[in-house]
Amino acid sequence: MAGYPGPEIREKFQAALALSRVELHKNPEKEPYKSKYSARALLEEVRALLGPAPEDDDERAADDGPGDQALGAAEPRDAEGPGEQRALRLAVIEFHLGVNHIDTEELSAGEEHLVRCLSLLRPFRLSLGCVSLYIQAQNNLGILWSEREEIETARSYLESSEALYNQYMKEIGSPPLDPTEHFLPEEERLTEQERSKRFEKVYTHNLYYLAQVYQHMEMFEKAAHYCHSTLKRQLEHNAYHPMEWAINAATLSQFYINKLCFMEARHCLSAANVIFGQTGKISATEDNPEAEGDVPELYHQRKGEIARCWIKYCLTLLQNAQLSMQDNIGELDVDKQSELRALRKKELDEEESIRKRAVQFGTGELCDAISAVEEKVRYLRPLDFEEARELFLLGQHYVFEAKEFFQIDGYVTDHIEVVQDHSALFKVLAFFETDMERRCKMHKRRIAMLEPLIVDLNPQYYLLVNRQIQFEIAHTYYDMMDLKVAIADKLRDPDSHIVKKINSLNKSALKYYQLFLDSLRDPNKVFPEHIGEDVLRPAMLAKFRVARLYGRIITSDPKKELENLATSLEHYRFIVDYCDTHPEAAQEIEVELELSKEMVSLLPTKMERFRAKMALT
Amino acid sequence: MLLHAFEGYNVCIFAYGQTGAGKSYTMMGRQEPGQQGIVPQLCEDLFSRVNVNQNAQLSYSVEVSYMEIYCERVRDLLNPKSRGSLRVREHPILGPYVQDLSKLAVTSYADIADLMDCGNKARTVAATNMNETSSRSHAVFTIVFTQRSHDQLSGLDSEKVSKISLVDLAGSERADSSGARGMRLKEGANINKSLTTLGKVISALADLQSKKRKSDFIPYRDSVLTWLLKENLGGNSRTAMIAALSPADINYEETLSTLRYADRTKQIRCNAVINEDPNARLIRELQEEVARLRELLMAQGLSASALGGLKVEEGSPGGALPAVSSPPTPISPSSPPPHNGELEPSFSPSAEPQIGPEEAMERLQETEKIIAELNETWEEKLRKTEALRMEREALLAEMGVAVREDGGTVGVFSPKKTPHLVNLNEDPLMSECLLYHIKDGVTRVGQVDVDIKLTGQFIREQHCLFRSIPQPDGEGQIDLKL
Repeated sequence: MAGYPGPEIREKFQAALALSRVELHKNPEKEPYKSKYSARALLEEVRALLGPAPEDDDERAADDGPGDQALGAAEPRDAEGPGEQRALRLAVIEFHLGVNHIDTEELSAGEEHLVRCLSLLRPFRLSLGCVSLYIQAQNNLGILWSEREEIETARSYLESSEALYNQYMKEIGSPPLDPTEHFLPEEERLTEQERSKRFEKVYTHNLYYLAQVYQHMEMFEKAAHYCHSTLKRQLEHNAYHPMEWAINAATLSQFYINKLCFMEARHCLSAANVIFGQTGKISATEDNPEAEGDVPELYHQRKGEIARCWIKYCLTLLQNAQLSMQDNIGELDVDKQSELRALRKKELDEEESIRKRAVQFGTGELCDAISAVEEKVRYLRPLDFEEARELFLLGQHYVFEAKEFFQIDGYVTDHIEVVQDHSALFKVLAFFETDMERRCKMHKRRIAMLEPLIVDLNPQYYLLVNRQIQFEIAHTYYDMMDLKVAIADKLRDPDSHIVKKINSLNKSALKYYQLFLDSLRDPNKVFPEHIGEDVLRPAMLAKFRVARLYGRIITSDPKKELENLATSLEHYRFIVDYCDTHPEAAQEIEVELELSKEMVSLLPTKMERFRAKMALT
Repeated sequence: MLLHAFEGYNVCIFAYGQTGAGKSYTMMGRQEPGQQGIVPQLCEDLFSRVNVNQNAQLSYSVEVSYMEIYCERVRDLLNPKSRGSLRVREHPILGPYVQDLSKLAVTSYADIADLMDCGNKARTVAATNMNETSSRSHAVFTIVFTQRSHDQLSGLDSEKVSKISLVDLAGSERADSSGARGMRLKEGANINKSLTTLGKVISALADLQSKKRKSDFIPYRDSVLTWLLKENLGGNSRTAMIAALSPADINYEETLSTLRYADRTKQIRCNAVINEDPNARLIRELQEEVARLRELLMAQGLSASALGGLKVEEGSPGGALPAVSSPPTPISPSSPPPHNGELEPSFSPSAEPQIGPEEAMERLQETEKIIAELNETWEEKLRKTEALRMEREALLAEMGVAVREDGGTVGVFSPKKTPHLVNLNEDPLMSECLLYHIKDGVTRVGQVDVDIKLTGQFIREQHCLFRSIPQPDGEGQIDLKL
């Protein structure tokens, strides 16, 4: 046989390739695999034309297992002889037949073809002509075994591919042949550049499959690392769709946020912004299913989603800073603050550059563009109000951006989540604010955005969201009241105005706790005898706070005062009684229960004294 | 469950399990008396209650919809004209809804059974054409039940709307197939081949890390199915799950996985948790107060425990009723909103410039659609229902599927006298669902220019011929010619 395949073989092979690329949905509806079957027939014809496989190979009998053959041991043989050429072409056909069978849900047959392909290639797997095909065949076997839920086998195939790529790049390095080239005449062979592109793409897929395998094996950090590498390589080889890439990077940032790796998260988000900016400018390089949808709509949605990833970044970073600096009642601890300041100097010098390099997306201009976004955002915990404010403003900017798409009409829960985040941003900013009046104003802003939300919300469909907001509003009013009381305490002579203000905040807090508690009632408005597990603690806390709020109403009328104390007592008693009959509740609120018990025993005495005093006057 | 619906709760029944394990039997049952499944029993009960509770102040209406979720696409099973995937949206007052999903008015259980059957037919037709089985799609049958009461004193109308959703989840079998990747509920170890799925992989990864804390946002996460779960687990809802198991030992693994799945479902809590602030400050304050009170009392030579008796003498003031509960909030705010433009999309001024005129138009139209739907009278709804029924029947007739003389296409009605063909399917729900008559004379079967239209991979344009020759004695003889 000549060095080149005959024209008949070439044409049949090309036709088979074209057929196997036909997208499934283009087949007639009732014959989804029609094109695949036709491709298979052609491939089998080509195989027959090529003749039988060379029988001399001693390694044919070798174990089918992946990877276990030591890579270094096999001295790379060249596949230049005519016999080898034929074996190679047969391997290409076996590979395509294997993939074809897998595509048509015939896994066992697919496996046989792929294993045959590997054994044909094994002696030359490090050669220019084979390495790409060998990796692809192993990758497909990896996928195949994953479908059989034998993830360890899948992993060893894929890791063997990864090792082979690395060994090849180290020892040989020049762009290897694409498997299809074995069926092309010399003059039509690919350029070095094209070869490299295709080979790198194979390796990118290899990494992506490994990411999934690690994820299934619950090696999450490793999985994230491989996802990151996949994204990185997509950029390097210019094989990405901007919108899709951006949303993926933004999503990956959420993984890092949860791991409190803010620098990595920031890098992902900044890169997402830059790449998202390319949407529409660069035409899609790879076919992607989203293109068929409503493009402008999707564009706005993705933009909103990236914005929401940014919001979470700002919020989590701020909250993390608060956690590290608060004392046991949630106030700023100045000692901790200065401690962290001293620590930061070290943080800055160390590891930053190393960590940065490890995750760096893009090179050259792209890299600069990403850095430009990064420079405007801090990744270290903010330590004072000014730093916190910067992050807050950025978060707020993205809140507005997210709300453009996630409007209340059509996206109720999403919209509300964004508003809740906005409120949370204000709340954590208030932690950094030292001026109590200004803090109070921040809480007021929260109420102003939360209150309108529940007015138009049907509790039948949004019960839980409703409860969340009621609870948050009540808490916010409570905090405001606390602040006002603190302000009044500082005044030498609190006027009636501030007392009124305190009482009105108290009343509002009461109202929303009560709304929350009422939402637990059944349709006949009866408070349940048994409170559901999921709302037990919030319900008890609401009762506890209601009791406390009644105790804190300021009044000069002793009769009213007595009434309030009685109501307060009643609520404390509810908690104590409920925990008596429902021991599981007691575990949920140990401290609160203890205090309630004390109040139940002490308040009557206090009231008695009060009555006595009233009788005297 | 039905009681809950009458009280105004949403009710949802999920069925899950291996195909053939009895899911459909439990849900639908058989036609014979005493063999009926949950759905017919529930519907019959519903209507008998409605009939018993008749009075001038109370009126009821029942509407149904039927949809299928296949590969993240929502398909309307009751409207043959509906093409492509419907969109899922949320409305602040109306709750989550499927845009453009037809809602048909019904007045009796027969209507419901009829519609359900039609939907199943539509599902069967689609499944057969796609070379698929029902095991890969979820079907959701929803009954919207409205109780309207008129209060004569105030002259006000109030409405209580409850939704009864019956969800047939995709089968759980582990077929040797690559079909519904990423769709099935069980977490397979499949590797996604194409890089276009990278997003899914990453979001799953990010999601895994955040079981408890709600500190992240993960795009992609909301599939139609989770939306469905959200609706039914997230609100005022009573949810039941039916896990259908097969006792055969060969199905051991499946049974185990079904049970595992059921166990996981049981643990699904709505991820909407109530965030609470640290209580530390309040507790400290209160501790101080307790200490202060104690001191005060000690100073008077009284111990707190000695006062315990006093408490009883005094009696607790009004211990029975909560004196300060604010007026209970009405449970049924879903009365049709006034159409004076209140439903107009509320653009915030800052957002307006970013919204293109087309988008604004689209939103406006969507809102108008909702308003129109709300204003539609019962009669109009019934008319629409009828029109859609005709369309469906026409479509089935075109395919050669038999229609009963009275026009119904319901269930298995085996004509005693006429020869006929029925379809068989591994899924009992779909089996014998379609029925084709064989006329006297020649009945052609195939794809083009035929009496019975079949589409499928191995169906030829002219597939076969049936020749039915009536015999003088009233018996018939049928020849089959391929």
